[in-house]
Amino acid sequence: MKDYQLAWRNLWRNKRRTLITAASVFFAVFFALVMRSFQLGTYNKMYRDVIESYSGYLQLQNTDYLDEPNIDNGFVVDQDITGMIESDPNVTTVIPRLEAFALAAVGSRTQGVMVIGMDPDKEDKGFNIRNRMVKYKLTPDAVESLKAENLPGRTGKLLDVFLNESFTDEAGLTSILGIDRSDTMKVLPLFRKYASFRNACLAASDTGFAVIGSGLSEYLHAGVGDTIVLMGQGYHGTSAAGLYVVKGVVIMPQPEIDNRFVYLTLDDARYLYDAPGMATSAIISITETGDKELHNTQERLTRVCGDGLVIRNWKEMNALLLNQMEADNKSGAIMIGILYLVIAFGVFGTVLMMMAERRREFGMLVSIGMQKSKLAKVVSLEMLLIGLLGVVAGVAASLPIVFYGYAKPLRFTGELARMYEDYGFEPVMPMLLPDTYYLWQVVIVLLILSIAIAFSIRKVFKLNIINALRA
Amino acid sequence: MKVVEINDVYKTYRDTEVEVRAINGVTLSFEKGDFAVIVGPSGSGKTTLLNLIGGLDQPTGGEIIVAGHHLSELRPSELIDFRMEHVGFVFQSYNLIPVLTAAENVGFIMNLQKWPKEKRKARTDELLESVGLADRHNSRPSQLSGGQQQRVAVARALAPRPEFILADEPTANLDSKSAETLLDIMEKLNQEENMTFIFSTHDARVMKRARRVITLEDGRIISDERTNHNS
Repeated sequence: MKDYQLAWRNLWRNKRRTLITAASVFFAVFFALVMRSFQLGTYNKMYRDVIESYSGYLQLQNTDYLDEPNIDNGFVVDQDITGMIESDPNVTTVIPRLEAFALAAVGSRTQGVMVIGMDPDKEDKGFNIRNRMVKYKLTPDAVESLKAENLPGRTGKLLDVFLNESFTDEAGLTSILGIDRSDTMKVLPLFRKYASFRNACLAASDTGFAVIGSGLSEYLHAGVGDTIVLMGQGYHGTSAAGLYVVKGVVIMPQPEIDNRFVYLTLDDARYLYDAPGMATSAIISITETGDKELHNTQERLTRVCGDGLVIRNWKEMNALLLNQMEADNKSGAIMIGILYLVIAFGVFGTVLMMMAERRREFGMLVSIGMQKSKLAKVVSLEMLLIGLLGVVAGVAASLPIVFYGYAKPLRFTGELARMYEDYGFEPVMPMLLPDTYYLWQVVIVLLILSIAIAFSIRKVFKLNIINALRA
Repeated sequence: MKVVEINDVYKTYRDTEVEVRAINGVTLSFEKGDFAVIVGPSGSGKTTLLNLIGGLDQPTGGEIIVAGHHLSELRPSELIDFRMEHVGFVFQSYNLIPVLTAAENVGFIMNLQKWPKEKRKARTDELLESVGLADRHNSRPSQLSGGQQQRVAVARALAPRPEFILADEPTANLDSKSAETLLDIMEKLNQEENMTFIFSTHDARVMKRARRVITLEDGRIISDERTNHNS
C-alpha cells in the first residue's frame, strides 16, 4: 500500500471532521475568489473606462500640464514630433486633443462641462466614440408603446425599471432587458420601431456641431438638434463663447465624464478657445498595452518628444484613482486575510484533534517499524489532501460564477444605481476572469497547510513511543 | 541459541524529585523457542522490561543484546529498523490499523520492508490461515471480535519472521474462549515454527501454558522457573 493510499483512507476514518475541515477551506477559497473577482473586475473596468474613454495609455503633454491642467499649459502640435512618435513600432496613431472647461447652457439650465476637441477622423482609434453613440432610448412614449405590444418574458416588467435609459447596441439592450434569444426576432424590431434614437457622430467637415454625453443631455434637457451655448476662458485669458447644435448623444462609461462631456471637432475647439494649432495633450494610441511594453514605449518616446514636453502613462495621469483603488484593494485584502485566519484556526484545530486522537496509533506504528519520517509523510499527505479537496472544490465552484459574472456583469438598478452614479461610478459590477489572484488563493491555503503540516511533523518527530503507547 | 541477552540492566525514571528504579540489576537471557512469561504485581517492572527488550526504551545501565545487536549502540532510526526486522509486537489493546483490512494489517510490516507483492500475499494468506481467519481477509478491525483482532495482531507480528514475539498482556481484554484460542495458536506456532514468545501477564491461563515463568518484584527477578507445561 502506497503512502498516499494510507493517507486517503485515514482521511475518511472521521468523515464528518474531514468534510467540515475541507468545507471550511472550500468556503474560504470560494468566497475569497468571488469577492476578489468582483473587486478586481470593478477596478479593471474603472481603469479601462478611464483609459479608453478619457486618458488613453500614453499622452504627450506640456511638462506643467499634469500639475495645472489648463489651456495655458498646452503646446503647439509639431508635425515632426508627432511623426517621430507615430514611427514607433508600438504606436498606431497620435491624436491631438484640446481640452478645456466651459459653462454650457440650454434655456435656463447650465452646467460646467469639459469640452474636448478632437479630429473626428482619428477619434475612433482613440476613444471609439462612434460605438458609444446612443442607438436606443427608453423614453416614456417608447415605453408606453412597447408595453402595449405585450413583450414576452420579464422584458415588459423591466421597461419601467429602465425608463429613460439609453443603449448603445442591441447586445446591451438584449442583455439588460432580459430578452430571450428565441424572442429577439420578434422583440428587436419593436425596439427599432419605438425606441430608436436618431443621431450622428461628428464628421471632419462639421462646423458648429457638438456631441454630448447622455448624462449632460438629460440634465440640460438638450436633445439632437437643440443648441447649446458654451462660455469660458480661452488661451491666455481671451474670452471663449460659441453656439453649437447637438448632433449626437454618447454614453461615456464613467458617469462623471458622461455628465460633463462635450465633444467638438478639433478645429471648432481651437477656434472657440482662440488656440490655433494647439493641443493640451496628444493621446498616443498603442497596440501592446502590458506594463512592461508600456514602460518601454514611454522610455523610447521620451527620447524624441523634445524640450518642454513629456510622455505620461495612464498611471501617472490617474494617480488619485489608482490611490483610491489601492486603498480599497488593501481593505479587501485585509477582509480576505481575516477570513483565512479564521480558517487557519479551524485547520489547526483539526490537526490538534487528529494528533491527540491518534497518539497511541502513532506509537504503535513506530513500535512495529514505521520510520517517523514515513509517518510524518503520511500525516502531511492527509493534511495536504484535505486542503486540496477544499481548494479544488472552491476553485471549481467559483469558476462558473466568475465566467458568468464576466459575461453578464451585475448591473444595479434603482436607488443603488443612483448611489453608484453619485459617487461617479457606472452602476455595474463586472467580474475578472481567473488570473494570478486564483493562484494566490492556492498559495495562501498551501501556506496555512504548511504551518499545520510543520506542526504535525514536529509532533511526530517528538513522539515518545512509551508515552504514546500508554495514551 | 540465545536470542536475547540482558546483562545487569537498570532502568530509572526520575519523576520530579523522586527517583523510581523500575528495573534493578536484571540479568537474563532467552533461548530460541522459549515460551516464557514475565509475571509480577503491578509496578514490578514487567512492561518496562519488555519495552527494553523490544528496543522501545533504553536502559539507564547495563547491556541488552538482541540477535547480536547491542541495542544501546543503535541510533533511534536504526532502532526502528531493528524492531521491524527482529521483533514482533502484540499489544494488550490489539492496536490494529483501523483503516486497513485484516490482510492489509498482516501485510503492513512486509509492505514497510518492501516485500514483493506475490510473496507478501502468500505469507499473509498462510498466516491468516494459521490463526484461523482465512475467511476474514477483507474485514476491517471494527468488523472483528476482540479475539479475532488479537489473532490478526499475532499474524502481523509473525509476518516478517522476527526473532521473537513480545506480547504485553495479550489476553487481558479477551474472554476465556478467545484467550484459549489465542494461546492455542501461539503455542502451536511456538512448537511448529520454533517461534520465541515472551509474554508479560497477570493471566493465570497464560502462566499455566508457559514453559518458563520469570517473576519480577520491585524491578528484580525473584524467580526464574522452567515448567513442564507441554500440550
